Amino acid sequence: MSDTTFRGVPIVELRGISKAFSGAKALEGVDFSCRSGSTHAILGENGAGKSTLIKIMSGVLQPDTGEMYLNGQPVRFRSPAEAAKSGIVCIFQELSLMPDLTVADNISISEPPRRFGLIDGREQKRRAEELLARIRCEDINPNALVRDLSLSRRQMVEIAKALGMNPKVLILDEATSALTSRDVETVYDLLGDLKDEDVASLFISHRMHEVDRLCDTLSVFRNGNHVDTFGKGERSPGEIVRMMIGRDVEAHFPPKPEPREATPYFEINNLSWENRLNGVDLSIGKGEIVGLGGLDGQGQKELLLALFGVLRGVDGKVTADSSSVSPSSPHDAKTGKTRIALVPEDRKTEGLMLPMSIADNLLASSFDKVSTGPFIDSGKERTAVEDGIRKLQIKINKATDAVATLSGGNQQKVVIAKWLMTGPDVILLNDPTRGIDVGTKQEIYKLMRDLADEGKAILFYSTDYAELIGCCDRVAIMYDGTITTQLTGDSINEESIVSASLNINSQSAA
Amino acid sequence: MNNLFSSIRPENKPIVIASFFIIAILLIGTGYTLSTQGTAPLLSPNYLLQQLQTGSFLGIVAAGMMMVILLGHIDLSVPWTLTAAAMMAASVGGEMALPTGIAVGLAVGLVNGLGVAYLRIPSMIFTLGVDSVLRGLMVAHTGGFAPQDQATPLMRYLAADRLLGVPVAIYVWAFVSICIAVTLTRTSFGRSIYATGNREGAAYLSGIRTRLVIIGAFMMSGVCASIAGVLLAGYSAKAYQGMGLPYLLPAIAAVVLGGTRILGGQGRYIGTLVGVVLIVLLNSVLSIMQMPEAGRQIIYGSVIVGMLLVYGRGSKVTS
Repeated sequence: MSDTTFRGVPIVELRGISKAFSGAKALEGVDFSCRSGSTHAILGENGAGKSTLIKIMSGVLQPDTGEMYLNGQPVRFRSPAEAAKSGIVCIFQELSLMPDLTVADNISISEPPRRFGLIDGREQKRRAEELLARIRCEDINPNALVRDLSLSRRQMVEIAKALGMNPKVLILDEATSALTSRDVETVYDLLGDLKDEDVASLFISHRMHEVDRLCDTLSVFRNGNHVDTFGKGERSPGEIVRMMIGRDVEAHFPPKPEPREATPYFEINNLSWENRLNGVDLSIGKGEIVGLGGLDGQGQKELLLALFGVLRGVDGKVTADSSSVSPSSPHDAKTGKTRIALVPEDRKTEGLMLPMSIADNLLASSFDKVSTGPFIDSGKERTAVEDGIRKLQIKINKATDAVATLSGGNQQKVVIAKWLMTGPDVILLNDPTRGIDVGTKQEIYKLMRDLADEGKAILFYSTDYAELIGCCDRVAIMYDGTITTQLTGDSINEESIVSASLNINSQSAA
Repeated sequence: MNNLFSSIRPENKPIVIASFFIIAILLIGTGYTLSTQGTAPLLSPNYLLQQLQTGSFLGIVAAGMMMVILLGHIDLSVPWTLTAAAMMAASVGGEMALPTGIAVGLAVGLVNGLGVAYLRIPSMIFTLGVDSVLRGLMVAHTGGFAPQDQATPLMRYLAADRLLGVPVAIYVWAFVSICIAVTLTRTSFGRSIYATGNREGAAYLSGIRTRLVIIGAFMMSGVCASIAGVLLAGYSAKAYQGMGLPYLLPAIAAVVLGGTRILGGQGRYIGTLVGVVLIVLLNSVLSIMQMPEAGRQIIYGSVIVGMLLVYGRGSKVTS
């Protein structure tokens, strides 16, 4: 890389930073630097290591190996407060405000102004007004409770709070995703001001047009590695996308059937929920595996939960064979005319009762199926448990052992076996292979294909593009609560998925 | 000791420790009476049956309380549910006395269940409120005086009589115990209680109707409290204000000493039985030793806290 094109001096520098979470490498020997007065974008797929990087810089996480330098001096932050004292302040995606405190309280929460040792309320209010004025949010009352503000306004308060710490390096992690267009403009202006004040801004965003407009430097991360850093305009969007992907696809997938027109069976029309789902249209045929892709948090999880009867106040129409499907609870979804199963996102908290036995977990959705009247029939119980364990080849010691004693892959098999016992027509899968070993992943891919061949309709959300490509007959990409693109046959490839996820096509059209 | 315990499944450890403690209490108590009076009343079957007869009221309350604690909730309305059931049974009288008492328990349990499951009010607050309302209702009902109604002959028979040399109350306790144990281990409702208590979110997403499970458990707690109330009224020949007050904390203590996790999800009914026997015997040994009331309370409380420390802070689940 040629450093000559960048203005300013490096203010933060990372050398050889590595970080692993329970064996899985999140960052591997990363060298990275950021210059004062620059607006620096960090790009990468889900799981590329962006979040880990900024968490290390802002003191939330400590690196396993490697050093960090601030203005040439080695530093090691043990907490976000230490990082903030040194001038590195991060605005996180998850809002860090306390809803029942006032705006002024929140802004000064870490270093409240004091008078005779007690908090000086008047000074605190004055400071809040000053900071809010700086981001052109004079209309926010410092005495208002954060609870009463809209999401966008709360995010602005968050930014004011960060500015109050006089940052030398300001990290914005998807900070604009919750903002209204008016507030976004304000933030753009603010970033310009900060640049003039020689503050470095690190900017994580999935909105390519935003990155294009604001940032002068771009860094691409992939699989925990820093791929390259370059100046704005040095690479085309296509090149950037390829840099983000560029990895080997190792997993083996069962052969897909020839692309064909499946007769629509499970049809979703104009499904909306609050502001997370904005009119989703999708149909799934019997025997079809439809993949659900896109960046994290574009409404994929909400779509699955809405179909499963978990969310309240869902608008739109869902039909199966032209008869309406509108479960009001998972129990409804499980027992209705069209039976629906959901393998939830987090198997440890949503899929399993960890301290309970493997047998009890397998039966948790089918107690009625193994009972005679209110009483559980031990014969039926044993047969059902043995069937489930055999069918999915779950490796266990005894069925009475706690399910927590199993490996992640086998735990996930228990969740899937539990739902297959209910005899579902439609199977919803929320990232079912996350955090499990390659062998089990392949068994799950094969199982999905077998289930599809049995005539089940499968909707499969995955954050791993390789899976979408390898497993799915069709892939629907979600962006901002709607399905923007559907890919079939040969058009299911990494490039088209990534471009559609970043909504690049519609951007150039707009 | 460690070798001995390592072969025991963690969920059974409290039950084994509590059983040893029961034996220790009996030995210490007997040692004391032998040295001071030269007799061993604690080991006489008749004395033990008598203790279990009075213990059966606590045992029945604890059985119901356990269902609610398994869900990670608590039922603080037990004292006045018990009293209200006893008073209503006594004031209705005749053949309808028993059904009336139980209906009161069912109704209170339903209200508790609806409040916790649908209004999502924490059970600690909601049941405390219901307890207070019931108390007010009972004061209004009696006009603040001790009620003159007498327990019916059936109530007295169930609480105070003997059948084949064994107090009938013990048969009632045994019957309730069998019902609860079968419900917990052999019915889909029982399994759903454990699932919901372990992780309500996962149980809900498994298609378990967690709200109905919560309501069902509170109704069982209410029914158990009302059965105990009716029996206690039969035992004392009449119902009286505040008769349920001494049962709340011992019932919770018995459940927890028996190894049920206070946060829900884990526990065996046999443990609750052991917990009740432990508390009953501890009380009777302390009274045989003519310990002054202050000392009894201190020892009683210390034993409960001490035993919970011995159990450890619950088996950690890591993976």
